[in-house]
Amino acid sequence: MQVRLRQWLMVVLTVFACGWLPASVLAADNSASQEQAARQQTQPGNNAPVWRDVRGGDNPYQTTQVRGIESTVLMQPAGETWRQLRNGPITIYGGWLIVAVMILIGAFYALKGPMKLHDRPTGRRMLRFGAWDRMVHWGAAISFVLLAVTGIIILFGKHILLPVFGYTLFAWLAILAKNIHNFVGPVFAFCTILMFLTFVKDNLPKLYDIQWIAKAGGLFSGKHVPSGRFNAGEKAWFWGGVTLLGIVVSVTGFILNFPNFEQGRELMQQANVIHAIASIVFMTLSLGHIYMGTIGVEGAYESMRTGYVDEAWAREHHEYWYQDTVANNKSGGGAAKPAAASALKEGWKA
Amino acid sequence: MARMKFLCDAERCIECNGCVTACKQEHEVPWGVNRRRVVTLNDGLPGEKSISVACMHCSDAPCMAVCPVDCFYKTAEGVVLHDKDLCIGCGYCFYACPFGAPQFPQDGAFGLRGKMDKCTFCAGGPEEDNSAAEFKKYGRNRLAEGKLPACAEMCSTKALLGGDGDVVADIYRNRVLKRGKGAEVWGWGTAYGKPEKSATPPAGAKS
Repeated sequence: MQVRLRQWLMVVLTVFACGWLPASVLAADNSASQEQAARQQTQPGNNAPVWRDVRGGDNPYQTTQVRGIESTVLMQPAGETWRQLRNGPITIYGGWLIVAVMILIGAFYALKGPMKLHDRPTGRRMLRFGAWDRMVHWGAAISFVLLAVTGIIILFGKHILLPVFGYTLFAWLAILAKNIHNFVGPVFAFCTILMFLTFVKDNLPKLYDIQWIAKAGGLFSGKHVPSGRFNAGEKAWFWGGVTLLGIVVSVTGFILNFPNFEQGRELMQQANVIHAIASIVFMTLSLGHIYMGTIGVEGAYESMRTGYVDEAWAREHHEYWYQDTVANNKSGGGAAKPAAASALKEGWKA
Repeated sequence: MARMKFLCDAERCIECNGCVTACKQEHEVPWGVNRRRVVTLNDGLPGEKSISVACMHCSDAPCMAVCPVDCFYKTAEGVVLHDKDLCIGCGYCFYACPFGAPQFPQDGAFGLRGKMDKCTFCAGGPEEDNSAAEFKKYGRNRLAEGKLPACAEMCSTKALLGGDGDVVADIYRNRVLKRGKGAEVWGWGTAYGKPEKSATPPAGAKS
């Protein structure tokens, strides 16, 4: 006991002598050698504490002449954990999750078919997405799809494409995928920021969103529930998908994309696990969004392609937004501005 | 056939870095790439020990398991090699490897990784033995010449042993019995503790 006390006293004295920062390192070192000394009393020949210290690489007296990131670390056991996570649950459950969601959406489409307009189109069109809105949306969307496809090649290609393509052809595809993924990644992060700034105003939660959620947006009943410019489903995708998952995949992606900031392997392993899980969830959610935006809802794709929707569509899908727009236009003087015939046809060029 | 293994005797290693130099010289490895390194424990303190470490050619190699293009293969002698023509430089083998063996020459801006390079146990790559192409990508193929790895052959204290795992283990066992200490075979549990994955032909040969 007295020996222990004296040792601790020495540690405390060294702390004061050396200042705060190196003190913690010295204390860590002492604790390892102390543990080793204690182990030798009970189990002579068991050097486990030393080897644990060796694996950690935190010991300041562990050196090498090779200059490099973590070159003094003799062994890193975390790599095996990463391998088990990535090759195990992430690949298996993640892969089947994507397949399952695709099958579910396909089944839903086969059973229910697309959501059609109930009223007849009025022929009068109103602007839903301006040129900037569409540019930002498609910038993010195209970069997202590129990242999703290349990411799938990198994670699952070995299991689904390699047996078909053979080694040489698949390696070419994979190196192309890696480079597209690495270079498009920052573009996506940039577009995500613009996307947030562009659409955040109309995605703020409103009281009437509760009603929409309670009725699941009329997905099963087929009856439309009134909503603002964006309904609660779109808002959930905006906050949970674009914003939250967008930030998660972007931050972890940057950690992996730029290894020249001397980050260690453990950080990159953790980033990779989070990146993979978040992007698989992101992809499954995006499948829902892509379905609704293309074949799932009649008129939805045209709204983002041309920027214009039919008044009947606006009234049915986004009633409050429709009323607001009409009211604003009236209060601004003059009736709702009808779009020029050319803009109707090729609105995306306008 | 012999199962090739590395063994570093921490009681004998004197941190001369002769193995590191021998490796660089033998294979003309590019600047910034270190297939082998010597790590000193308790440097300057009583009980200082040094260990030379490189790819251990694991029985169940993590690099091989995580490679997205499956560019690794194992020879009949248990040596883990890879095909640089297939490697995409993703760095996953570097995340997974317990020994920090995979090295990446920087290939372009922002830390973009080039083709992975690592210790080959002086056994070259999938190209024809001792061809110019093989030397350029992987260094000399000493095993094909009937020689053992240059690092172990060059070791002045015979701390680093490389060769048939059974022979190497016998030499080490005799040493431990004679000196009565230093029985830890560093890294063997991690490298050879798992069941051996069977040898695979070079990936490129399959397509």
